[in-house]
Amino acid sequence: MVQINFAKREINCKLVYYGPGLSGKTTNLEVVHKKAPASKKGELTSIATEGDRTLFFDYMPLELGKVGGMNTKFQLYTVPGQVYYNATRKLVLQGADGVVFVADSQPDKMDENLESFQNLEENLREQGLDPKTIPMVLQWNKRDLPNVLTPEELDAKMNKYGAPTFEAVAVTGDGVFPTLKKLAQIVLEKLNREYGLQNDGPGGGSAPAKEPPKEKEPAKAPAAATPPPKKPAAEPPPAKEPVREPAKAKAQDDRAERERAERERERERERAEREREREKDRERDREKEARPKPRDFNVTPPAQEPAKKGGGKGVLLLLLLIAVIGGAVGAGFAGKLGPLQKHYDDHLRQHLGGGTPAGQ
Amino acid sequence: MAMKPSDTDQKLRKQRLIFYEDDIGRINKALENYQNLSKSRCNMLIDVEGHPVTQVGSTEGINLETIAALVAASFAATKEVAKILGETEFSSLTHQGKNESIQLSIVGDRTILTTIFDSQDTTVGMVMFYTKELVEKLNAIFNEIKSRKDSGKPIFNDDFKDMSGVLDDMFGDV
Ligand SMILES: Nc1nc2c(ncn2[C@@H]2O[C@H](COP(=O)(O)OP(=O)(O)O)[C@@H](O)[C@H]2O)c(=O)[nH]1
Ligand SMILES: [Mg+2]
Repeated sequence: MVQINFAKREINCKLVYYGPGLSGKTTNLEVVHKKAPASKKGELTSIATEGDRTLFFDYMPLELGKVGGMNTKFQLYTVPGQVYYNATRKLVLQGADGVVFVADSQPDKMDENLESFQNLEENLREQGLDPKTIPMVLQWNKRDLPNVLTPEELDAKMNKYGAPTFEAVAVTGDGVFPTLKKLAQIVLEKLNREYGLQNDGPGGGSAPAKEPPKEKEPAKAPAAATPPPKKPAAEPPPAKEPVREPAKAKAQDDRAERERAERERERERERAEREREREKDRERDREKEARPKPRDFNVTPPAQEPAKKGGGKGVLLLLLLIAVIGGAVGAGFAGKLGPLQKHYDDHLRQHLGGGTPAGQ
Repeated sequence: MAMKPSDTDQKLRKQRLIFYEDDIGRINKALENYQNLSKSRCNMLIDVEGHPVTQVGSTEGINLETIAALVAASFAATKEVAKILGETEFSSLTHQGKNESIQLSIVGDRTILTTIFDSQDTTVGMVMFYTKELVEKLNAIFNEIKSRKDSGKPIFNDDFKDMSGVLDDMFGDV
């Protein structure tokens, strides 16, 4: 659930990459981490097994910048896709504000895609979230492989709620940003509908969204549907809310115009700054590329800089504990589901036994 | 994506804790007082979903967002363990390191108090002793926040219209 902190003028949203094992969720996050400007992203932390399989989750914070006056941050998570990790998957999904479902486009992965999607629906419902209304984007990944299903086929089979869809080749980075961008937009617009300017006419001050590939949003006026603002006792100063009076409207418009221009200049400056950072990043990447670098962030202590006074050790301990517990919970769960054990075993064998797609 | 907030959305809206300057000011004061008494190094409040709420003390060298995500996950995982053992949850957890230790205590039903302390400065017993009092104090503040009526205050200003520009800046014009 989005956390709103007026003290820091900050909102925090939790976005979760969901999907079957090996569909490319971790790869998506790696790409976001690689491409995002350094000052806007935190460490990519993975709680994974030796063989790169996500045990609990991958996590990275991403700062979008100022939206509507609020510093907007996303916490990006991936879930472990393997069927038997449902207990840990549920934990990661807790309080999710949006979901990217990463599907593998290969025909023989359809069953796993569907099973995982159904599992997502169940887990959402279990925590009182409606799979129909939670912001969601579907990604058809691995478009580079031969004989993949067409987007139309995938859509017909998987997209029961008419969510926006994107084709992707996560290993090359194709489609990764557009997917995340769309989800970010939907999440923020939903938040604005719930909490946006209430007297701003139909649309509630929401951004003129570019048409998604497919979206079944009915064109109803959302602002009217939200309850009228109530006056609370304890509220900080800037809370006096504008029920616009016609006489004041003109002056307000003028001022709004000037403020907008100022913001535009501000954004221009920020953009230039970001471009400089990106260039620095690219340079750093070029240097790094010289060395071969497989997934090197398994169980990374959160702070890259050594925490002072051996703080890193404590954190490492914490990580280990989580890993052990996560494993135990997963195992306990699997143990309970005796009849399905064979299924899990088959599943594992399938993946471990040379099921790795090309392009590694 | 229904335009009208669904029932679950409305329910969530009610559950949501919104923090204002005053709240954070009071919380920080309680945390600082506790930190002095317990001789801990730093204290953070973390949402059970992994978002940092506030922190006091020396957090230098600690990546707050990452630690918040990990602490919340750790807490969530042990909660499942507690359930298996027939408990509803463990109200506190301690991870002891050689020098640095961390103690997690649940506050209300949505927030985790995270105390980092140095074994040279204090002991687990000391920290736990003062934690009890703090948790009571924080519970009272949180109950107040929770019972306060939803202000209906918009979180975004008019600038929200520029949202797609901000997204373009981050993700490219696609
Ligand atoms: N050919 C191909 N392989 C991919 C693509 N995306 C991911 N992979 C590979 O699929 C495997 C599983 O990816 P990973 O991100 O770990 O999957 P996860 O289990 O969903 O986190 C890895 O070997 C990736 O390199 C893609 O677009 N095309
Ligand atoms: Mg993974």
